[in-house]
Amino acid sequence: MLIETDVLVIGAGPAGSSTAKHAALNGADVIVIDKKSEIGAPKRCAEGVSKEGLKKLKIEPSTRWVTRELSGVRLIAPNGTGVWLNEEKVKLPEAGYILERKVFDKHMAMDAARAGAKIMVKTLAKGIRREGDYLFATLETMGEEFEVKAKIVVGADGPESRMGRFLGLKTTLKPKNMESCAQFEMVNVKMEDPDSIEFYFGSVAPGGYAWIFPKGDDIANVGLGILTTETDKSAYDHLLEFVKNNPSTQNAQPVELNIGGDPVGGMLKELVTDNFMLVGDAASQVNPLTGGGIIAAMEAGVYAGEVAAAAVKDGDYSAKKLSKYQERCEENIGVKFKRDLKVKDYLQSLSDEELNSIADAFQDIELDTINTAELIKQLIKVSPKALLKLGKLF
Amino acid sequence: MYCGECAGVCPRSLIEVRENSLKFDKKNCKECTICIQVCPVQALAKEE
Repeated sequence: MLIETDVLVIGAGPAGSSTAKHAALNGADVIVIDKKSEIGAPKRCAEGVSKEGLKKLKIEPSTRWVTRELSGVRLIAPNGTGVWLNEEKVKLPEAGYILERKVFDKHMAMDAARAGAKIMVKTLAKGIRREGDYLFATLETMGEEFEVKAKIVVGADGPESRMGRFLGLKTTLKPKNMESCAQFEMVNVKMEDPDSIEFYFGSVAPGGYAWIFPKGDDIANVGLGILTTETDKSAYDHLLEFVKNNPSTQNAQPVELNIGGDPVGGMLKELVTDNFMLVGDAASQVNPLTGGGIIAAMEAGVYAGEVAAAAVKDGDYSAKKLSKYQERCEENIGVKFKRDLKVKDYLQSLSDEELNSIADAFQDIELDTINTAELIKQLIKVSPKALLKLGKLF
Repeated sequence: MYCGECAGVCPRSLIEVRENSLKFDKKNCKECTICIQVCPVQALAKEE
């Protein structure tokens, strides 16, 4: 069996559905496939998105997929000292909503379908080859193989993506650029403020951080990401330790375990080749500092969809034509990621003692007056060594 | 549960992540063990 289409999108996560929707809205014939029987399940992330990000994407929050609206952030040092950042006092671009990804991802796929994309679930991409001006993808559904002939293929198939590699793009990640994540969704979680997300830094999660993201009532995502280059233990072992020692989870019980790799090394250098584009986790479009990727993935999906549809209209699927997508991603996503990568490197260079002293110093700062000068003043006071490290990064 | 982190770091692209299983191309594997190192739940082990 051979199916022909303008655009084939591999993966119906937020990046793939956004790409499919915008390609279809701009006139392309689109097929989007997902290897899973249920789009959005199992989730692989902590489910946080920023209000600002959703607004930029013109997505109205829905009670069907928002589980909690947040107003603050609590940053916790290794000694337990917390720094509270409240939306009323400090502008928090990352403060926002906790989603129910199983519902959210389906809704985004539904939006793509309403825009005209055809969705195929339980369909795996096994290989890809170029023939003339087209790509032929080998797919498998319910044990049967078939091919799709497409003018453009978009790889939105997560950090395990292989389609780009088969076409010569360098997408293999080094372990130092891939956070290894484990998370429980738990009940009976007792948070100090159920309207704030919590981040725990230091040796609790070597090379990353731990988090507690409230999902309403006494439910929360409790998880962490580590770099396996920084520890001999698995992410799961670190998670068990974190849950055992954290005051909020003493009586908590898991109802779900999620695991996954989070590409945190910054956006890939090459996102396109002839007839092909990468989006989302497959393109490492994940904020290196926060590990969050939903908004960036969907924003990249808008660009990919628009560029793909324009390429179809013009009958030009060359890498040169598709490079407009790469340019838009670098300009609107890549620049911020490069800056955040430096901040991440700085945070990772700090010892538990340095993190403790910085958190202690913040106890004396009026957060509504905080600015760069004040921050540097405090860093000089508590840890000149930490400040020196920061200086080296810029 | 098949998160695909192993496939993301495999330098030879030998791991196919399916919905309910992983498929390894053992014939071309050079046993670098990077996939074993990164697995979040220690689900992978070197064959004896």
